[in-house]
Amino acid sequence: MRALEELTEVSENLENKYVSDWRNQGKKVVGYVCSYLPEEILYAADILPYRITGKGVKDTSQADSYLTRVNCTFSRCCLELGFSGGFDFLDGAVFINGCDHIRRAYDNWKAHQSALPFMYLLPVPHLINPEGRQWYLEEVVKFKEAIEAYFEVEVIDEKLSEAAAVYNETRRLFKKLYDLRAKDEPPLSGTEVVSILSAAAAMPKKEFNQILSELIEETEASSSKATGKVRLLVAGSLMDDPEFLRNVEDLGAVVVADALCFGAKNFWDLTDESGDVLEALVDRYYNHVPCPRMAGEYSRRFDFVKEQAERAHVDGVILEHIKFCDTHGADNALLKKDFEAAGIPAIELERQYGPLADAGRLRTRAQAFLERIRR
Amino acid sequence: MGTENNSALERIVTNFEMASSLPSDLDLESPAMKAVIDAMPEARRGTFLAMYQDPDVRETSVVFNRSSGNYWRSLLTARDEGKKIVFVPFNFAPEIFHALNMVPVCVEVLTTMAQNLEEGVAEYLDLAVERGLPDTMCSTQRGVIGLFEAGILEKPDLLINGALGSCDPNSKAFEYMAEKFDIPALYLDIPYYHDKRALDYYARGFKNAIKAIEEMTGHKLDPDRLREVVDYTNRATELFFEINELKRNVPNPVPNYYNMQHIGTKFMMVGKPEAVEFYEKALEVSKDRLKKGKHVLPEEKIRVLFIYTFFYFDTSIYSWFQEEMGVSYLMDVLSAFDFNPHIDTSSVDTMLYGLAEEMFNLPMTRQLAGSWDMDSNWLWDSLYYAKTYKADCCVFSGHLACKQAWGVYRLVSDSIKKELGIPCLRLEGDGWDSRITPLAVIREQLEEFFETVV
Repeated sequence: MRALEELTEVSENLENKYVSDWRNQGKKVVGYVCSYLPEEILYAADILPYRITGKGVKDTSQADSYLTRVNCTFSRCCLELGFSGGFDFLDGAVFINGCDHIRRAYDNWKAHQSALPFMYLLPVPHLINPEGRQWYLEEVVKFKEAIEAYFEVEVIDEKLSEAAAVYNETRRLFKKLYDLRAKDEPPLSGTEVVSILSAAAAMPKKEFNQILSELIEETEASSSKATGKVRLLVAGSLMDDPEFLRNVEDLGAVVVADALCFGAKNFWDLTDESGDVLEALVDRYYNHVPCPRMAGEYSRRFDFVKEQAERAHVDGVILEHIKFCDTHGADNALLKKDFEAAGIPAIELERQYGPLADAGRLRTRAQAFLERIRR
Repeated sequence: MGTENNSALERIVTNFEMASSLPSDLDLESPAMKAVIDAMPEARRGTFLAMYQDPDVRETSVVFNRSSGNYWRSLLTARDEGKKIVFVPFNFAPEIFHALNMVPVCVEVLTTMAQNLEEGVAEYLDLAVERGLPDTMCSTQRGVIGLFEAGILEKPDLLINGALGSCDPNSKAFEYMAEKFDIPALYLDIPYYHDKRALDYYARGFKNAIKAIEEMTGHKLDPDRLREVVDYTNRATELFFEINELKRNVPNPVPNYYNMQHIGTKFMMVGKPEAVEFYEKALEVSKDRLKKGKHVLPEEKIRVLFIYTFFYFDTSIYSWFQEEMGVSYLMDVLSAFDFNPHIDTSSVDTMLYGLAEEMFNLPMTRQLAGSWDMDSNWLWDSLYYAKTYKADCCVFSGHLACKQAWGVYRLVSDSIKKELGIPCLRLEGDGWDSRITPLAVIREQLEEFFETVV
């Protein structure tokens, strides 16, 4: 499938050809972390939002001397790339206080000689309530003004509305793709879907939408099916690297659904296109499927994961978290208990981000889980 | 609360009552007392001697233990008296509950108290993990979760967490407790910034939380009772500010162990007359020591500032500093409250705003919610305390769960060295679990560090 190959290639390169083309037109690229950043504001400013990743890092020795071994490998891999010039193609970076690890990665990068010209942190409240929503709105407005001031652009409502429409289209297309995944014979593996999600975060959405539409058409027309028999959902810490799922799927499973912040959690909710666009964006990002950083929202998170599991008729659930990621680690312990109580087998897997140093251990645990399901 | 024989709380109360029954003219050399001390497990013996060996510290210990014993005892009878019990983290001030006629329990203090159970706390730390909690979570909440799992700690009526944004393990532990043990919970968001806008936001959240507490528990806020509580708070603040003033003296006359008792008082009893009584005694003892030229032994060689927390599984380290090392323990992040406000009691609104401001400046909330180099954040405070109290060196006792502190420790310590020229030691361990780094190893590292400083 041509479209799949194209997106896989995009996902495998930090500065992919779309980023290069964008820059060659004299346009800016800004990196960001977290699903609480309204990307549309950057897009409307004709700046390419590029989701920061730690993919491809072989060792984290520079980052380790600032962040330490108790900080998660994702934050250390991202920082390593920042320190070593891996993100030199970016004109700026925008972080969220998503968790203790990533906000400290920001602190260290900002204080380091490798800091990008524009470094910004948009603080998001940890509670969903009217006061928090107002705070978030004010912060989003401040962020928009900072972008306008630094990059000497004006983010007008018309452009924001266009951006909101483009991003909603991406979300609708992803839902279509996930409908295909949920079929009895899923046409794509979970590994392939992670590559597609990863590409979506690293290229202009308009072009991405076009390729994703082609991919959906090709997939619908194709008779090829993913080979795994045991249907799984994966949920937990950030995942933009397909290797973890490849490891699991090689054992005869197929991941047919997810509840990941690069995945379903990130595109399930649409922006209301009928009213004030900035308010609508704020509502969409603030109220979307909550990350475990949002306190008191556990039941919403469980309901969402369960809904995804049921619509894809999964045989089991993998709850993964990157070591030291307490937000997902604590949530996963609760999710496991509640899934088992609901009669859906679940396993918790603690993993490292980046090079699969512990691939053997994870494989053994995943294998035991699959055997339990097959029994 | 708790009626079974193995109730953790009953046993904690008994321990305190035994300790508080000791007189200030205690003769540690008497054969009977020697036999009691010899029979204690090592960690508990260390803590006991830290409280009772020095006659000056013994005076404050007697007051502190009596007040604490009464406080913990009140938990056992709270429900019979129609009072609801609420568990909070250390960065949620207790006064509002005293004003609401509820009984607050600081989870971190409870885990610390559980260290003195006959069996220690380690098996409960492990049990929490066996039952699902990640082992990378903080042991201060893990201890209480383990006690719940073991069925020897009764559930409170309410959980309230005020650490959102400053510490992920802390806030997630409360959500975990709420969901797993089906306890009603409330949360209070801490903004990333530390300015007027942020304080106003925080104060609005605090007022909303009080409304929710009233609705959930049926306890109502009585303005007169609130004023009485806040008056006690203000008096306690005046007293510990005065004690802090004494710490500026070289040598420092304030006993090292005061810091430990200060934390326990501030996190549980402030807003009550018992807290005032303790601070009055501590001030009296410290003034007397200044007058008599008493300080750490044999002489004050080093003034140390712990820029983070301390080790609580065996508090003999305070007396080791005081009686053997010539090290004056100025304070740590948990016992430093120089930015505690004097609360305006003219109206309910001003009092609630003042209490919110107090909480906004509590440890960790203040230093760790935002960026390390913002005003009123970790570096800013470390420099202030080091300069104000004339520290010769700093120590970072890095608890393994504290990812947000570890993540910028290097930036902070490098800046302290650059700005003030004083070194900082990095220790690794767990304040409530001696198995991670035993006290002997900690002492060895400190000793070596102090040699280089001198």
